[in-house]
Amino acid sequence: MTWRPTALNLSFLTVAGWALLLAVLTGRAELAIVAVPPIVALVAGWRAAPPPVWRMERRLSASRLLEGECVTVTSTIRAEGPLPLLELLEPLPARTRLAGGRTHAFFTLRAGEEIRWTFELRGSARQYLRLGGPHARLWGPLGLAAAETHHRARATVAVYPRLAPIRHLPRPLRTQPFVGNYASAAQGEGIEPGDVRPFAPGDQIRHVNWRATLKLGTLHVTQHHREQNADVVLLLDTLSEVGPDGETVVDVAARAAAALSGAYLARKDRVGLIEYGGQPRWVKPGTGRVQRERLLDTLLNASVVFTYVNRDLDLVPPRILPPQALVLALSPLLDARFVRAAGDLAARGFDLVVIAVSPVAAARAAVPRTPVADLAARLWALERRAQLDEHRRRGLTIVEWDGTEPLDAVLAPLRRSRFRRRLAG
Amino acid sequence: MIRLGAAVLLAALAALPVSVMPSPPVTWLAAGALVLGGAGVIARVVPLVTAGASLGLIAYALALVIARPPMNAVGASALGATLVLLLALAHFAGRVRGAALGPGVVAGQLRQGLAVAALGGGAAVALTAVAVALRAALPGVALPVVVVTAALGALMTVAGVIVLVASGGDPSAPPGR
Repeated sequence: MTWRPTALNLSFLTVAGWALLLAVLTGRAELAIVAVPPIVALVAGWRAAPPPVWRMERRLSASRLLEGECVTVTSTIRAEGPLPLLELLEPLPARTRLAGGRTHAFFTLRAGEEIRWTFELRGSARQYLRLGGPHARLWGPLGLAAAETHHRARATVAVYPRLAPIRHLPRPLRTQPFVGNYASAAQGEGIEPGDVRPFAPGDQIRHVNWRATLKLGTLHVTQHHREQNADVVLLLDTLSEVGPDGETVVDVAARAAAALSGAYLARKDRVGLIEYGGQPRWVKPGTGRVQRERLLDTLLNASVVFTYVNRDLDLVPPRILPPQALVLALSPLLDARFVRAAGDLAARGFDLVVIAVSPVAAARAAVPRTPVADLAARLWALERRAQLDEHRRRGLTIVEWDGTEPLDAVLAPLRRSRFRRRLAG
Repeated sequence: MIRLGAAVLLAALAALPVSVMPSPPVTWLAAGALVLGGAGVIARVVPLVTAGASLGLIAYALALVIARPPMNAVGASALGATLVLLLALAHFAGRVRGAALGPGVVAGQLRQGLAVAALGGGAAVALTAVAVALRAALPGVALPVVVVTAALGALMTVAGVIVLVASGGDPSAPPGR
């Protein structure tokens, strides 16, 4: 850290030079006298000694956030020697907004004095919010000299996709043998009453249906439906993306995946994730809070990776994609590879629901509003509707979501249609 | 508040030549200095303020040439100190734009600016006293000495400007950019 002259020296030299030049031209001593204070200031502002030492410690109020939440960054600055003017600037990371305080500040500290600098950052999109540490500048007298350094205090805050509540979840057609929230067709232990049948040796007395017994004259028992859970696999399309930074279709799909995984895990289902993109990654289905964290961490890193290598869902091991699982595909359906993979899954008998995240609104937000752009967006929306109808005719269950309306409202009609399908099946 | 202080100093700088010689050319030059410097103060652009201050100096020189008043060393020292404060304030206003200011920052800078300006003004008055004493001791030599010293000073300031410009990189730009 060394002192360097600033542009203000030029200003002082300019006015001093003008004063002296005019003194020579006019022969008036007053003008030479006018030049003296700027020259004295230039000498007074000259710094040769090394800048004073100061220390800084930084604390963050959280290391994990949801989109839209704030983290408070508190820096404690302690001066070993007097600091006439200390300037600090923390560059604002991308996809982050300032929620409170300022990221640019000036302080004056006496020797041994301690001061706190606080500002609040709001993570506006899923990301690892990386703070590199503030740039610091010490100013000499009048701002004629400055010494600059970068205080390296790296910190990372994980900003997870925000979790919207979902009540109307697509109900899996098939269940697993583990205990859960779905009343299965199989009879067994549970609280959901099923058929009434004559008493058989081995039946428990508490299952006796006294009303039927008195009516029919022989002992009858009530059977119960077994309550089981299901496997749910979220298939996230990261082959293509459109839209403005932080609001791309992948961001919207990741948000939906986070909300769906949270809702299914709350119902004791096993939830897994497959990121189907240039670099496929997956999370084995599981339950509990650890699984939730694992899924959120994977969703945080979900991004489009370009590659010429074509990978297929056949590569995914069966333990990651169990045959009985409900597969929820989140995709803009822009890439033919994903459409083909979804078609393959449906043909293999998977219980597949495609949540088609509309790229039209996202692309519309990324371009300026002009009549031509409006017309193009309308044409694209029509073309897309025709494509989705074609996929539906081929047997895919597709719901279209524009990313702005609540996902719950989009999934509610699906729940009714699947219930009818389950009754029919 | 900082810019208001700078504007007051600029007004004082522009008023001085008019008070010495209230003639149309001086008034027009002073008005030009006020407009140019005022634009710099409002927009927080130090080079504009410097240009305004230089124009004010030219107006002052013109007023001195036309009016030929008796020498006023104190007024000239005050003008020099005003220039120092004006430029320092304009530069400070530009630096702190949009930033949070800790307790005592503005007061500390004002104190510092006033101290340096007072030191400069005091030095000017002291040098004038020395010059007056020398004139009494060596009659007839004072003017050539002033002219040669001023010419040397002007040359040195030009050299200083060239060195500063050639060194490149302005550390008063926002940090980290």
